[in-house]
Amino acid sequence: MSKNMKHRWHDVIELTALENNWVTRVELGSRKLAIYDTPSGVYASLALCNHGGADLCDGYFDGHVIECPLHQGAFDVRDGKPVSAPATRPMRTFESRVENGMVQVKLKA
Amino acid sequence: MTKAIVTPLTQALAEGKLTREELKSFMQRSDAPSLRRLAVWVLILTITTTLVALAWDSWLIWPAMFVQGIVLVHHFSIQHECVHYTVFRTRWLNDLVGQICGLIIILPHRFFRYEHCDHHTHTQINGEDPELIPMPKSLGEYLYYISAIPYWRGKFTEIFRHASGRLSEVELRFIPKVEHAAVYRDARWMLGIYGLIFIAMAVTGWWGLVWYWIIPLFLGEPVMRFVRMTEHVGRPTVPQMSENTRTNLVSAPWAFLCWNMNYHAEHHYVASVPYHALPRLHEKLKDHIHVEPDGYFGAHREIIRQLFKKTEAVGK
Repeated sequence: MSKNMKHRWHDVIELTALENNWVTRVELGSRKLAIYDTPSGVYASLALCNHGGADLCDGYFDGHVIECPLHQGAFDVRDGKPVSAPATRPMRTFESRVENGMVQVKLKA
Repeated sequence: MTKAIVTPLTQALAEGKLTREELKSFMQRSDAPSLRRLAVWVLILTITTTLVALAWDSWLIWPAMFVQGIVLVHHFSIQHECVHYTVFRTRWLNDLVGQICGLIIILPHRFFRYEHCDHHTHTQINGEDPELIPMPKSLGEYLYYISAIPYWRGKFTEIFRHASGRLSEVELRFIPKVEHAAVYRDARWMLGIYGLIFIAMAVTGWWGLVWYWIIPLFLGEPVMRFVRMTEHVGRPTVPQMSENTRTNLVSAPWAFLCWNMNYHAEHHYVASVPYHALPRLHEKLKDHIHVEPDGYFGAHREIIRQLFKKTEAVGK
């Protein structure tokens, strides 16, 4: 991907299609993303756990914490901060918003 | 970029063994049921401790300490569940209770967490699973393992190695560098606490904890070795979860003591499911996993059968 590519907003899923208070898997091109419906709004991250590569979208979600289904390492979805071992590195999160009923994520075009 | 892996759970969902809605309902957590269960646990401990006190001046203290030991070693089951954050919805409660259980059974919680994660990644794979219990080659080896002598030798070597600021090659593989110092610190703290307890007993002249805790712990550990063997020993050393793990159908008291960890294959399929939902998950997965209907004893009969088959084959 070129370094000159600009970040822009992408539609990923309709707000009504999100699983309530849970995590929903979406795909954007070749990217697998996790979209989180939380008490303070919608957040987005890469779907794969940066520890073992398991799909976070099959994990347990509570409030703002997503837990990996394989080892129960956990991250705060608001900033990607690891909150439980064996997760030690922040997960990659993306800016997100809701526009006209559509969840949008900001990433490189 | 992180490489995707296919977990048993992903596979189970893809194959329709489990729906996403069912998974969500199985994974739900709360604090209250486990707090109630822990209250019963403390009551049982009080009863077994009272038995030791009542038997103090007679030979009956030995069976009483053995019963106390059986309960004590099952703090492993609580700690194991806490490692998976499935006992309480409140995450720090899992850490706190896990640390306390680890202190009771001499198993540092953080280290166990990392080791156990690796066990879930490489379940039953020779040379990769750090918790793999090898299939015994003879009856002598089988009994030696159950004696818990090799277990304690390994555990004491491990904790002193960590306290001296070292990790084995295998441990270096699964403990990230940023956590090395914390693992060393945990081992030092743990040994320090034990040291203080012994000094306090020497100063006060009251050695009760040796009889209520230490001796029962060592008397009870063979029972835990017997239980732990039933989870994977004798199952094929292959990556397929449906093959490499055994679920044992046991009676209610055993299931209570081990926090339903007898549903071991189900646990390996979806480690995020709390102990109290495992019987329901069993109903969904029972046709896709290996189930031993005769419980722990059935599993050991199978292990011994395999052991003699191997011995005969070598003898021919």
